[in-house]
Amino acid sequence: MKIEQYPEIKPGKKRIKSTYISVFLWITGRAIQAAYRTDKDIKKEFDSLPDDYLVNLHIAPNGPNMLVGKDKKGKAKYMGWNTKGKKVTLDMSIKNIEAGILIFTFQEGTALGFAHDRFIVTGDLVDAAKTARILDLVEFYLLPKIITKLAVKRYPKWSQISPIRKYIGRVLIYTRLILGF
Amino acid sequence: MEMPSYYEFCSRVKTVSGHNALDKIPSLLKSLNAKRPMIITDKGVTSVGLIDIVKDAMSKDSNEIEIASIFDDVPPDSDVKTVNEIAKVYKENKCDSIIAVGGGSPMDTAKGVNILVSENATDLMKFTGAGALKKKLKPLIAVPTTSGTGSEMTLVAVIADHEKSLKMPFTSYFLLPDIALLDSRMTKTLPPFLTAPTAIDALTHACEAYTCLGKNPLSDSAALSAIDLISKNILNVVKNPNDIEGRLALANASSLAGIAFSNSMVGMVHTIGHATGGVCHVPHGVVMSILLPYGLEYNLHKTGHLTGELLFALAGSEVYNKTPLKERPLKAIAYIRQLNDDLNKATNGRHAVYLKDVLDRDGNQMVPFEKLSDIAATAQNDGSIFYNPEELALDDILMVLKHAWEGTPIDRTKIKKGKKTSKVKV
Repeated sequence: MKIEQYPEIKPGKKRIKSTYISVFLWITGRAIQAAYRTDKDIKKEFDSLPDDYLVNLHIAPNGPNMLVGKDKKGKAKYMGWNTKGKKVTLDMSIKNIEAGILIFTFQEGTALGFAHDRFIVTGDLVDAAKTARILDLVEFYLLPKIITKLAVKRYPKWSQISPIRKYIGRVLIYTRLILGF
Repeated sequence: MEMPSYYEFCSRVKTVSGHNALDKIPSLLKSLNAKRPMIITDKGVTSVGLIDIVKDAMSKDSNEIEIASIFDDVPPDSDVKTVNEIAKVYKENKCDSIIAVGGGSPMDTAKGVNILVSENATDLMKFTGAGALKKKLKPLIAVPTTSGTGSEMTLVAVIADHEKSLKMPFTSYFLLPDIALLDSRMTKTLPPFLTAPTAIDALTHACEAYTCLGKNPLSDSAALSAIDLISKNILNVVKNPNDIEGRLALANASSLAGIAFSNSMVGMVHTIGHATGGVCHVPHGVVMSILLPYGLEYNLHKTGHLTGELLFALAGSEVYNKTPLKERPLKAIAYIRQLNDDLNKATNGRHAVYLKDVLDRDGNQMVPFEKLSDIAATAQNDGSIFYNPEELALDDILMVLKHAWEGTPIDRTKIKKGKKTSKVKV
């Protein structure tokens, strides 16, 4: 038997899915940074996190990744995708890229993703709960209602967040996200 | 039965159940290559002579196995300091395994100790959350003396950090005990006023496992079996504490509920319950008894059909079949409220039904109304919040707490509802 006739089968790279998630995480990371400077609830939630907080939301085993932490002044900062030299305090890993696609295309809500064992969370669960609430609010600002409703358990009513706050916040967050301030 | 698109289930605890199951303990230790076990328990267990039963069982093979140390001072609320202290004793006495004898606190404490001694670590908080443990721990045998926590079957340990007024969860398959020993002698001495809330704790595990987001067919079957055993036996055992058949049934129910919730997690009853325990030090079973009907009520628009299905296990086939489909969810909740009332009467009022009625040993109110906002703030950060079907914001938790404190049913028109997913219009 000539072994060379039976080459090792390498798994596909799933480049399209990987690229989609990379872009999604890049936007989300920058949006968290922008939302911190825009929405008082997100700021309050983020400020209650530890000073050395650094979350790594990523697809196992090799990414894509999204790192968000606190800068020297304690403000939310998107810190790219490379974990090298950084001390992650909260690791939120999605087990594989297919699970990541289900969650990031909103076929499965974030909470249902947790319930269906899509995530492995290493670190303080208090920080994880706060991070999930921040992500829910950021999605509320970034996405149209029809999509956000798929991702969250309950879409906020007007009495909770007024349309003025929502639309002004959305414009500000998108502007800051694009310009990076 | 609902089929999730993906789930994971693991239950690999060897279970030995019987009226004299403890007599097997020497051979079970040998099967784990353990020779110098440390017993971790509390004063309550020691004072009623339960450790003597363990010692007697161990003495039947005294040549090869020796109890290296006994720590019997675990507080009612397991905490980080106690875990550190016991780990030191474990190392000093060159122990090689752990036998946890007691309710939730000794068992969770033993799991915490097992982390420290197996990882040769000093800071337990490094291992909080899920996935922090990477290797098998020392042998652990769990001998429950209450029929409630189900900790002998779970991959979770909840240990309090009193400085932060928080209960910290630790989750790992490595926290599953190697063996669970269910012996009716070990729960027979539990007084009725403790038997009642601990059994309702198990009922809560089963009900939440069945109705919350992490449910799956395997945990469902364990949950329904647990509910059936509890509802058939709880009142008899509370009224006749020497009913050893009933005791063994409750012990098995607690383990089944443990299997269920260990694999599908729990929801808002535990979210608020953990916080109430953390802030006001109310015993876990007591707060579960009070909050269970409120949790089911709050989620009715999401999981009413599942709550309705609980009625079969709770009240039996006759009641279930006589009750129209759309009335089953509310009937199941009413059944649990009635059970709490019956237990209150059977324990001469010691089984609390409302939060304002919970008293400490000196007769002081344990949950003052002013503390409800602190409890709500703490609850928001509990890991179980992810698994609750409906969103729980700060004001939602406070609303539920106020009703549970006063003892009034939730005004369901005031619940802020997300997408209604219940297949039964309630």
